[in-house]
Amino acid sequence: MAKKVIEILEEGSGKIFSKITPNEFREHMREKVKNAWRDKRMDIKTAIGQFVHDGDYLTMGGVSFIRLSMVAVHEIIRQKKKNLNLAAGTRTYDFNLLLDAGCVKNIDCGYITGMEIFGIPYVTRKRAERMITSGEMGISEYDNASMAFRHKAAAMGIPFLPIRNMMGADGFKHSAAKKIRCPFTGEEVILVPAIYADVCIIHVHRCDIYGNSQIEGALNEDLGKSKSAKRLIITTERIIDTEEIRLSPDRTLIPCFYVDAVVEIPYGAHPTNMPGMYYVDINHMKEYISAARDQAGLEKYYNKHIFGVEHFKEYLKTIGGKKKLKYLEDLEHLRVR
Amino acid sequence: MIELMAIVASREIEDRAIIYIGTGIPMLAASLAQNMHAPNIVPVFEAGGIAPQMPTLPLSVGCSRTTYRAIRTCDMPEIFEMAQLGIAHYGFLGGAQVDQYGNINSTVKGRYEAPTVRWPGSGGANAFGSLCWRTMIIINHEKRRFVEKVDFITTPGYIDGPGAREKAGLPPGTGPYKVFTDKALLDFEEKTKRMRLIGLLPGVTLDDVMENTGFELLISDTLKKVPPPTKEELKVLREKVDPHRIVLSRGDKESQ
Repeated sequence: MAKKVIEILEEGSGKIFSKITPNEFREHMREKVKNAWRDKRMDIKTAIGQFVHDGDYLTMGGVSFIRLSMVAVHEIIRQKKKNLNLAAGTRTYDFNLLLDAGCVKNIDCGYITGMEIFGIPYVTRKRAERMITSGEMGISEYDNASMAFRHKAAAMGIPFLPIRNMMGADGFKHSAAKKIRCPFTGEEVILVPAIYADVCIIHVHRCDIYGNSQIEGALNEDLGKSKSAKRLIITTERIIDTEEIRLSPDRTLIPCFYVDAVVEIPYGAHPTNMPGMYYVDINHMKEYISAARDQAGLEKYYNKHIFGVEHFKEYLKTIGGKKKLKYLEDLEHLRVR
Repeated sequence: MIELMAIVASREIEDRAIIYIGTGIPMLAASLAQNMHAPNIVPVFEAGGIAPQMPTLPLSVGCSRTTYRAIRTCDMPEIFEMAQLGIAHYGFLGGAQVDQYGNINSTVKGRYEAPTVRWPGSGGANAFGSLCWRTMIIINHEKRRFVEKVDFITTPGYIDGPGAREKAGLPPGTGPYKVFTDKALLDFEEKTKRMRLIGLLPGVTLDDVMENTGFELLISDTLKKVPPPTKEELKVLREKVDPHRIVLSRGDKESQ
């Protein structure tokens, strides 16, 4: 019988920044699950020091202003991690802080530098433009759907997924996606490559000491990301007993097999929103945006909130302490408007 | 002028419409519609909120205002899977540039390799504009934004004319539907798929629109005057939807 080929109709010229294959990932997980039921509690300094390495492909949980692990972002910056490859489907404040601190080497871009409703910080935009144009930062162009499906593909243990968007768009030309004719229906589909990451960090509402994690509200890309990283750091508002997890297993989004570290840190997502707990700190976002009007202002901001403090508890004092946090809780529950 | 854009757009949103919403003015318009004539619209937010009853204006596509009293929260792939499945009536988007075929650019100004400005990029826009049945676009009416051909197609409209979307492999029967600006209401002429002026906002002349459009605009035979905002629309928008003027205040300093 004549050999049949699936023809590639078009392909983008963008680079693939994650080189981990499904089989390599399987071998890794085979070893990793041996530690599934170990007590994984540690502090953020240890977790970032041990599990985030220069040159890693990093995925971060949450999206836009929801559930960003800011405690982890601060520590990555304090430890001066370099040359990170980042999955950037709607990254806002977390990405910006890492970029301006010089931690980022390459990005798979869905949405960068923008602070949504608050606009784009000037210094960050200028830096991104300069780094992209000069080639200092590599970029492949995607969008939130294709990025979400890339994480999902990896979480499924497969090398790619066929999707229905990206056609007729210029982003496709600068991505690593390919267009083929579906061998079953004859219709054209786009294939996007899975992203298996070196390390992922996700902030959750609660988990036990093994990392069985429960999340409330919108889940963003976290189901995909949590299951497709070689190392997973969970930062959590609080640690609860496994018995409590077992009372509501339907709320558990991340079982402990995937988890390497558990870091308990209340308000660890500030100034972003923790659904059901505390709302976005609008004034702090505005402070940040206006600080980022020039490099000097931005440096002052980093010194005050990141380099000038030892840990996140101390940071929380710099933003207004208990009184502010209480206000953000009231705001979340619509007790104040 | 943001107020007027949001109000005009909100009137076009029918009750029970399933509508995928981008950040900014689309949120204002949808929230206003939900508080006025369309209490049963189904706003969908890509971070994972389905059919929330927004208590205040969301600050982003993924804050808890996008899941408040929702019928379901889920993850991002599920939201885009719904769009792939044909469940989304409308995608509602902003952008930095738009052209006569409704292609949207939110990626770069100038050549991709050496842009003069780098904007945030697609976000959810590309998938909204590719997969929702109808795309609604909201954008300031300026020559630098209404261009002959966008510098970069972030989100495809009718690309370069009739049949181009289908040829590219996009789902049939989808595409740009209406454009809301601070001067006009526009749609797309059925045969040519080119943008067409169908309404003038209060106090705006045909010349105003032409002078601020960087391509040859079709004009409807039944060009109408869009009624001015009612007192109630303004009141709800200012007092209920965006009392802190988070988006409304942007009108004064918009500077992309």
